[in-house]
Amino acid sequence: MAKKETKQEKVKKMNDPTKKVRFRFLREIIHRYCKNRLAVAGFIILILFALAAIFADYVAPYWYDDQDISRRLMNPCWEFPCGTDQFGRCVLSRLIYGSRISIEVGFVAVGISLLAGGILGMISAYYNKLDNIIMRIMDLFQAIPNTLLAITIAATLGSGMMNLMIAVGISNVPRYARVVRAEVLRVKESEFIEAATSIGASSWRIMIRHILPNSLSPIIVQVTLGIAGAIISASALSFLGFGLSAPIPEWGAMLSDGRQFIRTQWYLCVFPGLCIMILVYALNIMGDGLRDALDPRLKK
Amino acid sequence: MAEKFLEVKNLRIEYRTEAETVYAVNGMGFDLEKGQTIGLVGETGAGKSTTALGILGLVPDPPGVVVDGEIFFEGEDLLKKSEKELREIRGGKISMIFQDPMTALNPVMTVGAQIMEVVQLHEKGLSKQEYRKKAEEMLELVGIPAGRAWEYPHQFSGGMKQRVVIAIALANNPALLIADEPTTALDVTIQAQILELINNLKEKLNTSVIMITHDLGVVAEVCDKVSIVYAGQVVESGTVVDVYDHMMHPYTQGLFDSIPDISTDGKELKAIAGQIADPANLPVGCNFSPRCPHATEECMKSEPQLREVAPGHMVRCFNCTKL
Repeated sequence: MAKKETKQEKVKKMNDPTKKVRFRFLREIIHRYCKNRLAVAGFIILILFALAAIFADYVAPYWYDDQDISRRLMNPCWEFPCGTDQFGRCVLSRLIYGSRISIEVGFVAVGISLLAGGILGMISAYYNKLDNIIMRIMDLFQAIPNTLLAITIAATLGSGMMNLMIAVGISNVPRYARVVRAEVLRVKESEFIEAATSIGASSWRIMIRHILPNSLSPIIVQVTLGIAGAIISASALSFLGFGLSAPIPEWGAMLSDGRQFIRTQWYLCVFPGLCIMILVYALNIMGDGLRDALDPRLKK
Repeated sequence: MAEKFLEVKNLRIEYRTEAETVYAVNGMGFDLEKGQTIGLVGETGAGKSTTALGILGLVPDPPGVVVDGEIFFEGEDLLKKSEKELREIRGGKISMIFQDPMTALNPVMTVGAQIMEVVQLHEKGLSKQEYRKKAEEMLELVGIPAGRAWEYPHQFSGGMKQRVVIAIALANNPALLIADEPTTALDVTIQAQILELINNLKEKLNTSVIMITHDLGVVAEVCDKVSIVYAGQVVESGTVVDVYDHMMHPYTQGLFDSIPDISTDGKELKAIAGQIADPANLPVGCNFSPRCPHATEECMKSEPQLREVAPGHMVRCFNCTKL
């Protein structure tokens, strides 16, 4: 009984009109998100990876490029929990440093796609005349398989971190343009937008205050899932040799390098693969959780 | 007579698409004095809502085009105003209540924030606390406790939401309120409450109201004047007594006949024969002639004009005096 009362008090506190509205809205979302245990687990995993990336210098036992031929291709042991590669580098350290790259590539690439796609999507939803032109160009992009497109761009731009992010980012632009356009179109036709016009709100205000917040949740979900996709794409590009090259510890590249030893040194492929898989899975369940948490219709 | 508060003259609005042109409003005209309520009554698709949108300059363009007409509001033609001037008027001097309260509120903003928004747009320079207070006062005015101001629309019932919509519409004390079927989406007991609320607030704030409805009962309850609308035209207008007790136009008669009467124990509802005129393909002559039981050859050929059959009572029919 006592527990129930505290819950009621909590609700009362949440509905307290003296508190800031924005803050409470956010708290409600967090509350709903936290009810989904799996999504919380995904979030924790992401945080762990992020912490590893930020404090890589302190966490990693070795520098990612510490070569020592005398200890090459060692099986996992106490000193090298994930073994060593053909140059005697600690795989665990490389994985930890690699999380920096993967997370950065994921976020920046999605940032690029979201920025370009979002602007294109909004323009085509708002200006009927441009709609057809922009969307047909997007269709053109989508006709080419995503990875192939990214390979083409990466091959044209050459290797390097920034080029990798641009390649992955551009190849995903059509997807974001479509999501944003569809959402803005849907919300634009709602009656409350007409009502907002009828109280004298300017179109700029309607865009920012009414359309954007209402179309945000599918976009946020798309972004979370998109980061996972971008990490995979980046790893795939590196695996194929179009992304980052040695000695940068990109997970995909590590996987690719480990391929030649897969019969004897299984861990060279398994650990980078696991890292990609776990991070991507974490982001995916986070995306699912966010989708549920952000849906106002499930608020009850 | 002094200057009219609101005067709509010969308003024509068309929706032009590639396939066809829909003549939604064809020479609509009515006027309204300060503090009065006028009812626009007609079937679905008669052009009532388009007229309302026309007054606020909200006809969706494309495909909507205001072809002709004048809308004088406090002596100024609204159709000649710029978008910026119109924005000042919308929500300030003229505001609108929408048909469906379920969709007329932004689902991700608290109702209080939505009331605050309309006040902020038209009454600049108050502190946030004052806006907040104003929003809470408006809610109290429409009968919702101020404590619920910071809840979201989904936490309210349909009738409550319509109260919120009314609070938003009346927040700036508008001179004219356009209520577009405000009770259609609500159940009957709530309908009565909402009508009473609109009526009370109208008297308290001395607001003029355009009540758009297809419910003759609603009109009888709240309106001073009534205009019967058919195919985008007023076919009969006058005071409620004129129209309800001395109806002249065959369409008005048809409307009243179609109200089910419990005392006659009729087996079948009396409907007006035929279909409502297709606004994309209006008949030659009187728009109502294909459905009119009294139509003559003249009706099929030329269009009747509004005639004054009694002071203030206008009818658009050649034969109304002969019937």
